[in-house]
Amino acid sequence: MSARLSCSSARCVGRVIKSQTASPLSRAAPAAVTLPQTSISSTRHYAVASRALPTALGKLQLPEDYVSPTKPPTARRPETRKSQMIRAYTALLRSTPLMLLFQHNNLTAVEWSAVRRELRRALREVPAPIAGPDGSVPVDITESIHFQVLRTRMFDVAFKVVEFFDAEEAAKQSNGYTHDLSQTAYEAIQAADTTNPNTAYAQISPLLEGPVAALTFPTVSPAHLAAALKVLAPSTPDFPAPTRRKYPGYYELAAQSGLQKLLLVGGRVEGKAFDYQGVRWVGGIEGGLDGLRSQLVYMLQSAGLGVTTALEGHSKGLWLALESRRSQLDEEQNPKKEEGEAPSS
Amino acid sequence: MITRFITEVNTKFNPFSTAARSTRLFLSSLPANARNQGMKIDTKLLPRTSADPAMLQVKFKDGKEMNLDGAKLGIKGIIEEVDRHSRFLQKQVDLNDG
Repeated sequence: MSARLSCSSARCVGRVIKSQTASPLSRAAPAAVTLPQTSISSTRHYAVASRALPTALGKLQLPEDYVSPTKPPTARRPETRKSQMIRAYTALLRSTPLMLLFQHNNLTAVEWSAVRRELRRALREVPAPIAGPDGSVPVDITESIHFQVLRTRMFDVAFKVVEFFDAEEAAKQSNGYTHDLSQTAYEAIQAADTTNPNTAYAQISPLLEGPVAALTFPTVSPAHLAAALKVLAPSTPDFPAPTRRKYPGYYELAAQSGLQKLLLVGGRVEGKAFDYQGVRWVGGIEGGLDGLRSQLVYMLQSAGLGVTTALEGHSKGLWLALESRRSQLDEEQNPKKEEGEAPSS
Repeated sequence: MITRFITEVNTKFNPFSTAARSTRLFLSSLPANARNQGMKIDTKLLPRTSADPAMLQVKFKDGKEMNLDGAKLGIKGIIEEVDRHSRFLQKQVDLNDG
């Protein structure tokens, strides 16, 4: 029913566009007699394409809301469409600075829900962010952390688009489309050197093999990362698993068998590839970015103190040496006086 | 793949190396209830800088141990090797039962 509705609406839109495009053309003929230059530019629907560029013919731009009358929009669910997936993944990659990649080996639906439940419970217990010095409270990201299964081939393509396609640069070179699904983007990722080991793509793409799930954080928050690691990939000294007494749900059969099948293979932090040790290091940063800043400030302050004491030290030593020498000289002079005075008294 | 006769799977790999691909795929081809049926699966991840080759050790019910080189065999080769011995065990079970 909904499919039929959307098709019919698409045709309507198509008709509207047709009528819009047809009417200026019909009106253009009389106007052309008086003002040929302006009328031509006004009749053209596509102002950008009308520029006489050599590449313009192959790269016409249609209006934003154009719907082809012969090719109505698909009736497939949008989240399963490949084009929509690539859009979603490119948006995800651009907006997510911290992403953990897990291999999931045949988890059942019950196990997935148990794992997600425990993850959500652990994340909810992370203390809310404290207000900054200027009184602004940072956004609580707990509800925006998602654990989702990736379609690896689609994710791979989206990753290439994000890494190797610069839309602004492409827009300067031609007037074609420059969105993520465009021909320009396709040509850019085809021409790119994907095997260059310096690119983040070449470093992370070996991880995107087989079944992969991603845990995505909207900001680099070591507190949330540590809470997630304690549940999903516990390790004894730094990220201990929740205790059985306090969290019996974590030790349910479904949750445990699900967690056994999850394997933390790596992560992407601020566009760089990290292995599981690197991810744990990020999770171990106390107090997040502010913590790092305060550490730096402390280090600089203590270094300054050291420098001043070191600089003072020499002058102090010199002063002490001179002072001791003076007292020594005084002593050398004084005993003579005392000796000289003694016989007189 | 016949997994009935596998009792233990030990793997060790560096996920950042392309040679570990087939070993990882082998892990994902084990059934969802493998651990409940008594299969021991132990996976050790190597750090990113490590250049050690991926290790895949499979033990069977009759005590046979297989050390498979994932980089050379590929996932199809691994499954072929494992199935070859599993079919042999299956044949024995069928003869004894029937």
